Amino acid sequence: MNAILRLSLPLTLWLAAFSAIYGLHGLLCSSRWAAVAPELPGRVLLVGATIAALALQALLLAFLRSPRWPQPDAAIRRVSMVLAVAALVGTAWTLIPALAMSHCL
Amino acid sequence: MNALRRHRALSRIWASDPGLKGWFTTVNHTDLGRMFLFVATVFFVIGGILAMLIRAQLASPRSAFLGPDHYNQIFTMHGTIMMFLFAIPFFEGLAVYLLPKMLGTRDLAFPRLTAYGFWCYVFGGSMMIFALLAGIAPDSGWFMYPPLSSTIGAPGINSDFWLIGITFVEISAISAAVEITVTVLRYRAPGMKLSQMPIFAWYALVTAVMILTGFPPLILGSILLELERAFGLPFFQVAQGGDALLWQHLFWLFGHPEVYIIFLPAAGAISTILPVMARTTLMGYGWIVAAAVSLGVLSFGLWVHHMFTTGIPHMGLAFFSAASTLVAVPTAVQIFAWIGTLWKGRPSLHLPMLWLLAFFATFVIGGLTGVMVAIVPFDWQAHDTYFIVAHLHYVLVGGFVFPMIAALYYWMPHFTGRRTYFKLGNVAFWLVVPGFHGTFLALHWAGLLGMRRRIDTYESGQGWEVINIIASISGFVMAIGFALVLIDVVVNAVVAVRGSRDPWGAGTLDWAMPTPAAPYNFASLAQVTSRDPLYEDPELPVRLARGEGYLGDPGRGRRETLTVEIGTGAPRYIVVFPGNTALPVLMSAITGLFFLGMLIKAYWLVPISALGVTLCALLWVWGLGRPAPEEALPVGRGLSLHTAAEAADPPGWWGSVFLLLANGTFFGSLLFGYAFLFSIAPNWPPPAYLEPGALPVVLVLAGAGLTFLGSRIGTVVGQGMAPVGLALIAGAALPVLSESPDPTLHAYDATVWVFVGYGLLHCLVGMLMWSVVMLRRLSGHSADTTLGAMRIARLWSDYTLLVALLTAAAIGLPGVLT
Repeated sequence: MNAILRLSLPLTLWLAAFSAIYGLHGLLCSSRWAAVAPELPGRVLLVGATIAALALQALLLAFLRSPRWPQPDAAIRRVSMVLAVAALVGTAWTLIPALAMSHCL
Repeated sequence: MNALRRHRALSRIWASDPGLKGWFTTVNHTDLGRMFLFVATVFFVIGGILAMLIRAQLASPRSAFLGPDHYNQIFTMHGTIMMFLFAIPFFEGLAVYLLPKMLGTRDLAFPRLTAYGFWCYVFGGSMMIFALLAGIAPDSGWFMYPPLSSTIGAPGINSDFWLIGITFVEISAISAAVEITVTVLRYRAPGMKLSQMPIFAWYALVTAVMILTGFPPLILGSILLELERAFGLPFFQVAQGGDALLWQHLFWLFGHPEVYIIFLPAAGAISTILPVMARTTLMGYGWIVAAAVSLGVLSFGLWVHHMFTTGIPHMGLAFFSAASTLVAVPTAVQIFAWIGTLWKGRPSLHLPMLWLLAFFATFVIGGLTGVMVAIVPFDWQAHDTYFIVAHLHYVLVGGFVFPMIAALYYWMPHFTGRRTYFKLGNVAFWLVVPGFHGTFLALHWAGLLGMRRRIDTYESGQGWEVINIIASISGFVMAIGFALVLIDVVVNAVVAVRGSRDPWGAGTLDWAMPTPAAPYNFASLAQVTSRDPLYEDPELPVRLARGEGYLGDPGRGRRETLTVEIGTGAPRYIVVFPGNTALPVLMSAITGLFFLGMLIKAYWLVPISALGVTLCALLWVWGLGRPAPEEALPVGRGLSLHTAAEAADPPGWWGSVFLLLANGTFFGSLLFGYAFLFSIAPNWPPPAYLEPGALPVVLVLAGAGLTFLGSRIGTVVGQGMAPVGLALIAGAALPVLSESPDPTLHAYDATVWVFVGYGLLHCLVGMLMWSVVMLRRLSGHSADTTLGAMRIARLWSDYTLLVALLTAAAIGLPGVLT
């Protein structure tokens, strides 16, 4: 199970962060939520969430490399590291719009 | 005991019933794999005939060959059949047949579940074909967008066939996915580490997990739309707080992963066949595993790229455009690994290799047009045109059908025990591949010239005539080619000469047995130490036939295999499989009555058939295990093991974990749908949020506490407390529903009813599970042999508690906060 966790965690974390930030974007642009909290700093929240997602991915990568999470099968260890790097890069690439686009246009 | 006597003894134990009875009582994966493949091929032929009718209609402008009503049914059923009744079941069939053989074991984890899934597929598929023949087939497109598929746009029974029939068929997909996941993780040859698995097993594992997490949103969407159609619960009716876009989200949450659910098994077959054809080993095994996992997960972050024209804000579009381009990277990693494999080997141009080359050319084009439509401005131009039709056929035919034909020819000697002799397949290849490109390459231009999808006819003078006549002629050439493939397969299967055991010189365990395969697969189980056991030890098949592996002694007279540790492949337990039984076909027939009752609105049939299914399920589980534990039993090679009946984590527990993964995704999709309506749907808030008071909260909390404690006390008293706790939680439904008596008023009320219904169902199933555990103890089963069943019931109860608490929060908080 340890091996399966190592392999599935990085991109699952990407998927969770990506979906959560898309959901947050949906909420921030919803007229209903705007009525409840008109002063919410949408851009700041989105950028903050993006930075948090990147930080989590970096932490996971460091944890997968550390001896505190050993994996006797070297091949599984290598593949999990590749996946963690892919998830980190994927997080950066797919969340660039949070920094660059107008969020409710 | 010599090899022949061992073969006879094992055959007596494992053989299916003889004659016609055997078709209905077999639980053997080899039989069921072949049956799956046969039925899927029949559906492919039906879907293909429909495609030819479409091309006949569109061959010329203002064609009167088909009227719009029939045309709508035909194109809807073409897509539906190819997606749900051909592609997924064909993968299931291939995996059901191959996986135990490749993994070096004797059967799949749950043989009766394999049979149940197969019969659900047959009955559900037959329901759809009946609708087609009766002229009442679904006609709203294979994606069934409301309001076109709602009672407003489709008042007849047509859409109900789709919603109910496909949900029925999806039982088969979920069953197969649970089966495949547990088999790959726990039922490998001893010593086979995860990193030594055949690459096809990795792809099958990823695909199975994708089915478990990809199908539930569609099942939920189908249930919600059917509830709207049948009972007026307005989930997709804007005037009453619903939103048609919710369907699109739920559908594409399934629909985009579906593309990869179809492609990845084909990629698994390619990664298996290509190195053998190139007479080398696979280059970049680890990279390919990483690419498969990446594709599996990334594909869940792309669903909105099917909705670029629905008015989503630019940032949302950009998120999904970026994710859609990202997915090209792992796809390219695989393509380059395959090219590298060809480069380092000495490719031989056998027929499977020809089809793989056709795959490369076609799929790369389909992938590149996929990147084009991932770019939002281009998609806005091409959306709903024949460019998309051409793109998706390049991906699905190039990425699935061509590799599957390669797989068919590659494993045909295994299926039949004969070597491919006649060369009709080569002629077929040269008809199908140019025919395919003649059809769909041309249709890209039709799309760019503005030809819309799903139109039943068109006027002349728009520049589409020549393209369409070329596409239609090429389509018929392709169809003749496919017919020749089928003729070739049948002729070779019947009259070709006997072949050798491993005609291609492959290294995987599926070729370590005589062909066609014996019902027990391996006379004894191998100890595996590498990815290609036959390359490492060419004498292995002979030694296994001599009984030199594990479980080579059939003396105990029952169907036995081994489970292993997930990571290391160390042997853990002996599993004793059930024998032949008609229970799966009976249970699936009764399940069919449940769906039929819903379909024809004979609602009296629904509870009766639900009761019938419950009784079958009780019969199913009652025969499992033994009253008293067994001693550790010798399994060969000096090792003794206990049976899985005494394990805390028997295969059933693992199966339950993965079933709950699918179940949890279903519930998560429901929460998503609720949040979507809450935030986006135009006519919210509802007239009033629910304020059920303290009673339901007290009941849920008291029930949760009692269930949690009871399920952790290992005595009969504890097992009695748990169902009482679940009954208390179920009791909370009464005050909630009495506060919201009419679910047709607003989507909010409808959602509350669905939440409560879902929770009630789980409480009932949980109570039933605990009652079975308690009755088994009272009937003399020991604590040791009930431990696994108790842990399964606890798993279900814990999940139910979580659902109850989340439901209470979701229903209650809006009323409290506003």
